[in-house]
Amino acid sequence: MPASPKTSSKSNLDRLSDHIESLQAGFRKLSRAATLKDLGRQFAGVVGAMFIHKMIDLAYRPADSEKWEDLVEGSAEGLKRLHAHSTRKLAAASEIHGAAGAITVVHRLADKSLIGLVVSGKSKVERYSEVDVLSLRLFVTLFDNAYQDMLYRRSEKGLVFSLNHRILQLNSLIDTGIEVSTLDENASPHRLALVRAASLTNASKGVVRVKRGKELLEEYAFPEGATPAPAHTAGNRIKTSFTFSSDTYTFDLFEKESRSGTLAFEDTDQLLLDALARQVHASLENRYLHQQALEKQRIEQEMTVAATIQKKIIPVSLPVIHGYDVAGRNIPSKSVGGDYYDCIPLPDGRYALVVADVTGKGVPAALLVSSLHAYLSAYLELSNTLAELLGKLNKALCNATTDDKFVTAFIAVLSPETGELEFSSAGHNPGYLLKADGMVEEINIGGPPLGAFDLDFPYLSGRTSIGKGERLLLYTDGVTEAMNEKDELYERKLSLSDFLARNKPDRADTFITDLIADIRKFTGSAPQSDDITVLYLRRKD
Amino acid sequence: MEQPFTLTSKLRGDCLVIATSGYVNNVGGEAIAKEFTRHFEQDIKHIVINLAESKVVNSIGMSFLLEIIEKLQDVDGKLIFTNLDPAVDKMLAIMGLFTFAGKAPNVEEALKSFP
Repeated sequence: MPASPKTSSKSNLDRLSDHIESLQAGFRKLSRAATLKDLGRQFAGVVGAMFIHKMIDLAYRPADSEKWEDLVEGSAEGLKRLHAHSTRKLAAASEIHGAAGAITVVHRLADKSLIGLVVSGKSKVERYSEVDVLSLRLFVTLFDNAYQDMLYRRSEKGLVFSLNHRILQLNSLIDTGIEVSTLDENASPHRLALVRAASLTNASKGVVRVKRGKELLEEYAFPEGATPAPAHTAGNRIKTSFTFSSDTYTFDLFEKESRSGTLAFEDTDQLLLDALARQVHASLENRYLHQQALEKQRIEQEMTVAATIQKKIIPVSLPVIHGYDVAGRNIPSKSVGGDYYDCIPLPDGRYALVVADVTGKGVPAALLVSSLHAYLSAYLELSNTLAELLGKLNKALCNATTDDKFVTAFIAVLSPETGELEFSSAGHNPGYLLKADGMVEEINIGGPPLGAFDLDFPYLSGRTSIGKGERLLLYTDGVTEAMNEKDELYERKLSLSDFLARNKPDRADTFITDLIADIRKFTGSAPQSDDITVLYLRRKD
Repeated sequence: MEQPFTLTSKLRGDCLVIATSGYVNNVGGEAIAKEFTRHFEQDIKHIVINLAESKVVNSIGMSFLLEIIEKLQDVDGKLIFTNLDPAVDKMLAIMGLFTFAGKAPNVEEALKSFP
């Protein structure tokens, strides 16, 4: 053990006292060091303050290594001394070797790593005192304490960082759930989820693919251009997928990052990816259901509008025709269609009985009925014959509608005095006239539906007459094509003309009520598939 | 679509302004730290990091940013983040980066806050 025998004890005490004071100040300094390099630098400063004009060398050897890492270089000689230090286990926690002009301390730290300190600069004959040796022992212990403190602080910081990261993951999971559910229709929730998943799992890249069968509909890579390299295997890749509306969404994440290279993904990473994918799935489903609800609402609103239009056009009551009893009824189906009937008095005392059926449903059909009603009111007075009227109506409706929209109509013009009937059908069901002898006359002549062809087809009209006690029935195909639960048509099983022949109540309205009851009896619980419209004229006896 | 990471920097007086683009992950964080260190060694203590073009950050990238903040703290320096995407803003807040770093709406505002 190197020592200076000539040092007085008082002087030694004074020096030791100085060293202890310096130790206390030194620890405060060392305890602020964030890195080993900083700690080494601070430590060399503390030691240097006590060994003025001496050179300080400091090196560190990790527990799992045989190589010294230089922290502070005072003299090349000192570090060489440390590098040459045996790799054998230390006999004690600290070993101090004194040599001429220099003193070397090697100390085992709390985590089994070593710190090596060389203080040099004395002449070859000068020796270090016992106080110096004792002080150096205390100094390396001080370093050990500060080193442990630094490790604790580092570990604590790591723990706080890791806890914050977990909070971040949970928070982002909630936020992403909200975001994907509030994105507009054109946004891509699966893209957002992929980016969030990559960020939260520390994946360096990711890809989401959308496939329909074998067809690739979409591929989105994060960052741009990322693709799985052949080296991406189980540990450094996680994936999840779900199928929605025949499209399969597959999320792939690659290469979990760390500060020192890539790591294997953890179970929690897979859970996180699964959770984000589930949020996208739920978002797509909710979006679909929302669209369905909106569409249903739109249709309902349209139906309400259509029903209002239709209600305004269908007459509340029909005119009273002297010597006749006339009644009409329209029963719209659930989806409002475009049936229409009316009995319009003409200036010359005649009456136009009209039944019409427009293609399609909803507002477009209702608007077409409205147009028909308006044109009829205008042209009835201006036309000399039914053929002329239908020609004009056809022209007007061709101009007012698209090719796929047209109207079938049956019009009969009654001269009440004589019972004379002029009739014409524009592609409509035939009318039935129940004669006094009990026979049913089918009246059916005319031309194509109105608004279908703008080709100046001539419309033909026929003439007949309705005698006392005789009855005229006009209707739409909602009557004849009323369907029961077996998908059978009313007209196929029960004949409308037979019903007309069999049922001859005194009141026109009663006839219609009975007919509708008959249809209801036939259809049973099957839903009404089309509008039912009936116009019935009875010439009183 | 998030582009691969790139970085530009310039000195505005004694302040280093770093603008990034793309994913601030291990690669991005390391690049920022390297650029910071290069100037820190030249005694630059005021740093602005403009993250306008970086909408995604991961915790590895944030660990580099934390280190920068700590180093600046030791020398009474300061880091200010600017042009933060709301999601990034929230991430940095949860990870505690704003305990010792500031944020500003843009670079000019950040520069005003340095003495």
